[in-house]
Amino acid sequence: MKLEEVKPGQEVMILSFSGKEDILEKIQAMGLRKGRRVALLQKLGRNLLLKVDNSRIVISKELAKNIEVQ
Amino acid sequence: MKSIRVALAGNPNVGKTSILNHLAGTSLKVGNWPGVTVEKREGKVNFWDYEINLVDLPGIYTLEPISDDEWVAYNYLRNEKPDLILNIIETPNMERDLLLTVELLEQELPMVLVLNMSDEAQKLGIDVKDKWLSEILGVRVLRTNGRTGEGVKALLPNIVEVFNLKEKPKPLKYSKELEDFLEKVRERENETKAELIRKLLDDERFKEYRENIRKIFGKDVHEVIKDERYAMAHGLYKEVVHRKLFTSRDITDSIDKVLLHPFLGVPLFLFIMFLVFKISFDFSSPFMDWIEGFINGFIAPFAAEVLTYLGAGELMKRVVSEALIGGVGFVLTFVPLIAVIYFMLSLLEFSGYLPRIAFLMDRFMHRLGLHGKSLVPLLLGFGCNVPAIVATRTLETKRDKLLVIAMIPFMSCPARLVVFSFFAVLFFKNPAIIIFSLYLLGILVALITALFLRKTAFKGGLYHFVMELPPYRLPTLRLLFRVVWVYVKDFLYRAGTLIFAASVVIWLLLNLPPGVKNPSESIAGYIGRTISPIFAPLGLDDWRMSTSLIPAFLAREIVLSSMATIYTAEASQETKEDFELLKALKEQVYALGNAFKEAFLNVFKPVPTAFEVKEEDSQSLRSIVAKSLSPASALAFMVFLLLYTSCLGTVATMWREVGKGFALLFFAYSLLIGWFLGFLAYRLGSLLWST
Repeated sequence: MKLEEVKPGQEVMILSFSGKEDILEKIQAMGLRKGRRVALLQKLGRNLLLKVDNSRIVISKELAKNIEVQ
Repeated sequence: MKSIRVALAGNPNVGKTSILNHLAGTSLKVGNWPGVTVEKREGKVNFWDYEINLVDLPGIYTLEPISDDEWVAYNYLRNEKPDLILNIIETPNMERDLLLTVELLEQELPMVLVLNMSDEAQKLGIDVKDKWLSEILGVRVLRTNGRTGEGVKALLPNIVEVFNLKEKPKPLKYSKELEDFLEKVRERENETKAELIRKLLDDERFKEYRENIRKIFGKDVHEVIKDERYAMAHGLYKEVVHRKLFTSRDITDSIDKVLLHPFLGVPLFLFIMFLVFKISFDFSSPFMDWIEGFINGFIAPFAAEVLTYLGAGELMKRVVSEALIGGVGFVLTFVPLIAVIYFMLSLLEFSGYLPRIAFLMDRFMHRLGLHGKSLVPLLLGFGCNVPAIVATRTLETKRDKLLVIAMIPFMSCPARLVVFSFFAVLFFKNPAIIIFSLYLLGILVALITALFLRKTAFKGGLYHFVMELPPYRLPTLRLLFRVVWVYVKDFLYRAGTLIFAASVVIWLLLNLPPGVKNPSESIAGYIGRTISPIFAPLGLDDWRMSTSLIPAFLAREIVLSSMATIYTAEASQETKEDFELLKALKEQVYALGNAFKEAFLNVFKPVPTAFEVKEEDSQSLRSIVAKSLSPASALAFMVFLLLYTSCLGTVATMWREVGKGFALLFFAYSLLIGWFLGFLAYRLGSLLWST
């Protein structure tokens, strides 16, 4: 499924990225990488609050559509 | 003395600024990187026989630049080649941070690795074998606590030793296949890995290699290099980090449950902002009163005594009392307000709450066509427009940036508040309501401006929201005071130079041609009278008002000091009191004690006390102004000063940021809208208070 569809409190693993935007490179450098486990802490407005390892990252739902998770 | 150039590099929020603060102490300077408005922080330390020059690079996640601040860091490393890189890692997020470390190692420059916040990591069960890490990379590894400054001083001898011994990191080894290709593009012995990779990625001559790589690896060369770097970072992490398996309740998660609550979050945000501004004004106002009293009740008579004793002429005495003490002294009374506002804003920033505001408020902001991140620069605008414009560097797209920059000057800063409170207290029964309405009017004009720009010049959609929320941390008072001092120093410098110069110029304008008895016969009076017809529709046909607007372009707060100069020069008959140095000094010390007491008590009062009406003696500027203006024209004056960009600093920053055209166009726009709404305010006020 897509990261966008994950429910708050759930933890998933990142499988793959689609799309060609530069910003996708940046979020990978921020720690959202293939094989990493991510917990969805909260959905607010058009954004998601994620926890990867010990950092908290906010990305928009629009971007989360490009991320396949399990 | 030899100098060493050290670049601090690391991901955002790893505590680089705190470490720089601890290292550089009071030598810290805030400036700009040339060509872009990315804040540049620099400091200097003398250690042993060396002058260590520290440069704080913008926080970046990777050396593949996208935004302005990332380009700054990338270009500095590539072109300026510092003598040493101080790579700062946030230990709790070590795996992520190691990607940048790997990319920095590709530069093959001497390096010292700093494991910051290792105390936090220990609490999370993360154990780093620093000796082993040092062994693998051939780099010295040190531990620090950026919050308290523990371990920071130990960096200095290590920096000098690495520099002296020319210690270089061990070369990175990627997979054999990739290394073979990198060797094939090598043309000189001393090319760094970073340079080889760049050639392999972009150079036209090596197109063939890129195709071969695609065949062998089954993916694009960019992908190959990215994956190799990630693998290297991951491998390092696995090798040196031991994670104990225990789940500790993270304090940040618990605080976020409340502060980022879907329903509670917004009221709490509003409450926090209310507290920030209430404390800023209530805590500082007794000190402002004290400074005013100190200058008028001690400095002024003391200076007069000294000048008389020295046998100074009447002219000299007038320059000192009217231009120096009257002009600069008046502006100095705002130091407490500026210091406390910066203290509160820095507290919000260093505690980690500031970026959360962006996340929390994005759902409202994006309806207005604005990025959640734009709220932070806009809020900073209430502190001072200049750093607020600089802060727009955190916005990714030019569209967001320009939109926000066009809104910031309408956010009312303390310099404006000073003018507002002077007039509002003087002319209106409920000054707080008037001041609050002016703030709202500023916000409204900002929104209308943004809406107008979105419908015309910037039609594009909203950019993605990507940001990191750092953990909550309690900053030390020492760190906060140092940051506040950097800004207060800047303000004092401006008061001492720009504002003093403006005061002298206006004093000269008022007293030239030589021998003028009445200011209305002076050059200033002439200029003021010439432009006063323009302001007549706003009810401001008094030449003294229009004259004081001229120097106010340097900075708004000057409007009061220049008014003080103009009005007191008119009514320069002052009562003379006997002055006794010791007695006066005693009184001032006693008053300062009272100011402290009052400041602390004010903070705990539920209602803001800053706007209370105070009775002043009839000789003061207040009463003279009160006699020469009507409430309606006072309102028009405030509206005009609120909206028109009457601040050289703001216009100059805008100019540097987005160019001459934008800055001048915006300046003209602000004049027009200020005049127009000032006119409306005067008409409305005249109707309301006509009786």
